[in-house]
Amino acid sequence: MRPENYEAIKQPPSNEFELNFGPNHPGIEGNYAFRVKLNGDEVLSARADAGYLHRGFEKLMEGRLWIQNIALVPRICVPDPVPMEVCYSLAIEELCGLEIPERAMWLRVMQLEMSRLAAHLFAFGGHAATTGMYTPMFWGVADRDLILDRFEELTGGRVYSIYNIPGGVRRDMPDGFLDRLGTLLDYLDSRLPDYDSLFFRNQVFIKRARDVGAMTQEQALKWGVTGPNLRATGLAFDVRRDDPYLVYDKIDFDIVTEPGGDALSRNLVRRAELKQSIRILRQIIKHLPSVKGAVRCPIPNPLAWNVPAGETYTRVESSKGELAYYVVSNGGDKPYRVHVRGPSSMHAVQVLEKLAVGSRLEDVAQIMFSLDACPPEVDR
Amino acid sequence: MNELDKIPVRQEISVAEGNVKRSNPLANVFDELVRFCQSRSMFMLHYCTGCGAIELPPAMTSRFDMERLGIQPMVTPRQADILLITGYVSVKTLKRIILTYEQMPSPKYVIGICSCTVNGGMYWQSYATAKVLKEYLPVDIYIAGCMPRPEAVISGLRDLMGDIKSGRADNWKRYFQNYDHYLGNQQQLFGEDWQTPTDIIAEAEHYGLMTDQTLGEHTALLQKHQQPLEALEFSLGEKREKIQGENPREKNNE
Ligand code: SF4
Repeated sequence: MRPENYEAIKQPPSNEFELNFGPNHPGIEGNYAFRVKLNGDEVLSARADAGYLHRGFEKLMEGRLWIQNIALVPRICVPDPVPMEVCYSLAIEELCGLEIPERAMWLRVMQLEMSRLAAHLFAFGGHAATTGMYTPMFWGVADRDLILDRFEELTGGRVYSIYNIPGGVRRDMPDGFLDRLGTLLDYLDSRLPDYDSLFFRNQVFIKRARDVGAMTQEQALKWGVTGPNLRATGLAFDVRRDDPYLVYDKIDFDIVTEPGGDALSRNLVRRAELKQSIRILRQIIKHLPSVKGAVRCPIPNPLAWNVPAGETYTRVESSKGELAYYVVSNGGDKPYRVHVRGPSSMHAVQVLEKLAVGSRLEDVAQIMFSLDACPPEVDR
Repeated sequence: MNELDKIPVRQEISVAEGNVKRSNPLANVFDELVRFCQSRSMFMLHYCTGCGAIELPPAMTSRFDMERLGIQPMVTPRQADILLITGYVSVKTLKRIILTYEQMPSPKYVIGICSCTVNGGMYWQSYATAKVLKEYLPVDIYIAGCMPRPEAVISGLRDLMGDIKSGRADNWKRYFQNYDHYLGNQQQLFGEDWQTPTDIIAEAEHYGLMTDQTLGEHTALLQKHQQPLEALEFSLGEKREKIQGENPREKNNE
């Protein structure tokens, strides 16, 4: 039997050939495939081949209790799981009309920013590896691990924390956690100049990434690009500022933009967001001790929790872009329908297909990593 | 499909006896040396199938540093020794995994990381995933957990190294010895016309691992459906003539 994506090649001109890029390829981010048609090393056309990670998430969620789904949602996006939990919890809270305590909001924002730091460190490390520079990748992964240590201390889980539940967070943070987080932030802050001289201001990287995979602002808006990729085209749009959720309206931070729209700009935006996340976390460390009270509001028995009928759309800014949940309840103990609007499905399929055309073969992996798409979220 | 329903999947799996002690004592020493060397230089094909793959970069890079054990990532199946299955396998991925596994040269080892490869894990009721990996491939070691920490991954790899050194890790032989069982399960999932371009039966003959369970009704079904791969048609000759015909210099010569 032939694979389902097999198509016989009909008498190709002898200078063109097709290349399967992935699913098991070191330049591919996870289990994702890409078929490119080449002339020499110039890409003539590209076709995304997704579905290797499909597990029917939205269907699975309809068969489980509201609270059980909390364990399921972080699996949608592996490198950046916290926004998934928070966004899903926000949706349920909106449907039930729950008011969560302020301390829980601050704790959620703290995790969201820690998760963003970790995801960005991972993202540019991966990009560096595709341009042949492995040291930034090793550094990025090692520094990300220090953040995971703090996650483990706070939540008990390294990657999947399942710390946010509808109604707040599961428990308060351990004693002295903020001090240790502050030490970590000082360390990360002191690392940024190293990253600059090793990677972001490295001529090897700049020459490779400039004008590669460039898109204009109009194109980006038309294709549904969000997050750092949109900000790299010069548009200052950020859900954290333009549609504030939790306590982001009380926090002072900048929306960083870059004019280029190419792989270089996208990475520079991520670099600047590392700085902004550290800045946000420092404010949280200063402010959080003064917010007293519970970390969770009372919720009904979660095993027999009938969420009132209704529908809602909540969105948060994840490290990849705008992440949203459309949740419909018919008053039962399980969701009637959950739709996940993930940023990566736009970036990895429609944007990548268009940006790859006309680039060179060695830049395809680079473009993919610079878009920071997350395959499990594409397939769901 | 109807034909497939009639054939039961062979349930009993024969377990290969451990090492055959050879009569020549020097040969035993040599075997041991070979196994020691094998266990200390392993190339690992990390087919990042699921979310467990996110714990591999920390395990491979400076913090936990797998390389000190002699384990390195490898990009092609033809040069790899270990196939790491890091997480749930959807049906579409499983086809690629089986093809990848069959391409790897023996001896080869399969490690199933994550609970999802053991029993379906989180996705036990999903319509899109294959639940129990060892029904389709002979798994040497499972590392359970959702997801296992890098320490657990490294400890699992060390267990595998110990098994290779003592000669216990010979599950790759089972794939040849019980090919009918594995093929039966694969056919149940993918349909009766499932085939890969590799020839396992010929390989089993080559390694001398044919048993009475290698061939069976499922392999007969495979042979029925197997068609030789068609060669791509190239017509370079015609093309060349055409180009020559269009060559202005030739025209001038005429
Ligand atoms: S066991 Fe958990 S971490 Fe591993 S693949 Fe399954 S859901 Fe993901």
